[in-house]
Amino acid sequence: MYAQVLTFGAAFLGSAVESVEALTIVLAVGLTRGWRAPLYGTVVALVSLAVLVLVFGQLIVTRVPESTLKLIIGTLIVLFGLRWLHKAVLRSAGAMAMHDEDKSYAQTVSELEGAAAKQDWIGFTIALKGVFLEGLEVVFIVVAIGGTSGSLNIAVAGGLLAMIVVAGIGVVVRKPLARVPENTLKYAVGIILTSLGTFWAAEGMGAAWPLDFVSVLGIAAIYFGASRVAITLINRRQPVPA
Amino acid sequence: MRFIRAAASEVVGLFVGDWVQTLVSIGILALGWFVVSRIQVEGLAFVVALALAAQLVYATTLEAGARDRRG
Repeated sequence: MYAQVLTFGAAFLGSAVESVEALTIVLAVGLTRGWRAPLYGTVVALVSLAVLVLVFGQLIVTRVPESTLKLIIGTLIVLFGLRWLHKAVLRSAGAMAMHDEDKSYAQTVSELEGAAAKQDWIGFTIALKGVFLEGLEVVFIVVAIGGTSGSLNIAVAGGLLAMIVVAGIGVVVRKPLARVPENTLKYAVGIILTSLGTFWAAEGMGAAWPLDFVSVLGIAAIYFGASRVAITLINRRQPVPA
Repeated sequence: MRFIRAAASEVVGLFVGDWVQTLVSIGILALGWFVVSRIQVEGLAFVVALALAAQLVYATTLEAGARDRRG
């Protein structure tokens, strides 16, 4: 039950963050050059991502032995989660600029300004590339977490629901979702993924955890505590100007 | 071709930000899992989590310092 809630939560939040970033790109193309090309690009990207989830998801679930799966995918999840957590810590401490959707939107629009209006494929390519590349992270989260926890359907549902929610909001507001607290979401997902990855990778090596899956909460507390220590230390080194 | 290169670099970028930090993390994991597989003590894997957490603190403060110096 706990594993399923965390699986759904990680897939939903991770997908929500990446969907917000992909939406910004699609909106920038659609509002400046018309909707047909970017929508085709988005559909092609989403179909490609769905194929990746199906292929790798089935491969992982049906072909890889459980202990190997937990060790290898668990280790990859730890590395992936630590990367998100690392960036989230630097952004929370003010050592790295926050991801700014308005700025991303302006950048994409300025990229499009140089292109001739008849070249519809540019809008198609930018939307395809943007959605596909942002979606790769979601594919990894869904396949890795869903496959290892044995709840691929739940992970897919979490990822899809987030995508639908973000797309729905995008259709209504028709501007970049700059107010979504992307760093906080990435911070949370980073902690969940690193904790789950540590838990599974250790299990893959035959380690026993006290209280079984409840240990994930203890691991999460360790990573959360470490991230707060890091933020405090960084803030001490670079005092915020009065 | 450029798209494939971008996708490949995105896939590597999923796990690797700074190569040194990634190698240190892999080293901690490898050593940790080796010890955990040999010494069957319940909860020993928490030590691996603590080592990774310490590495996170070290790597982020180091990078913040480097960013400070670069201005």
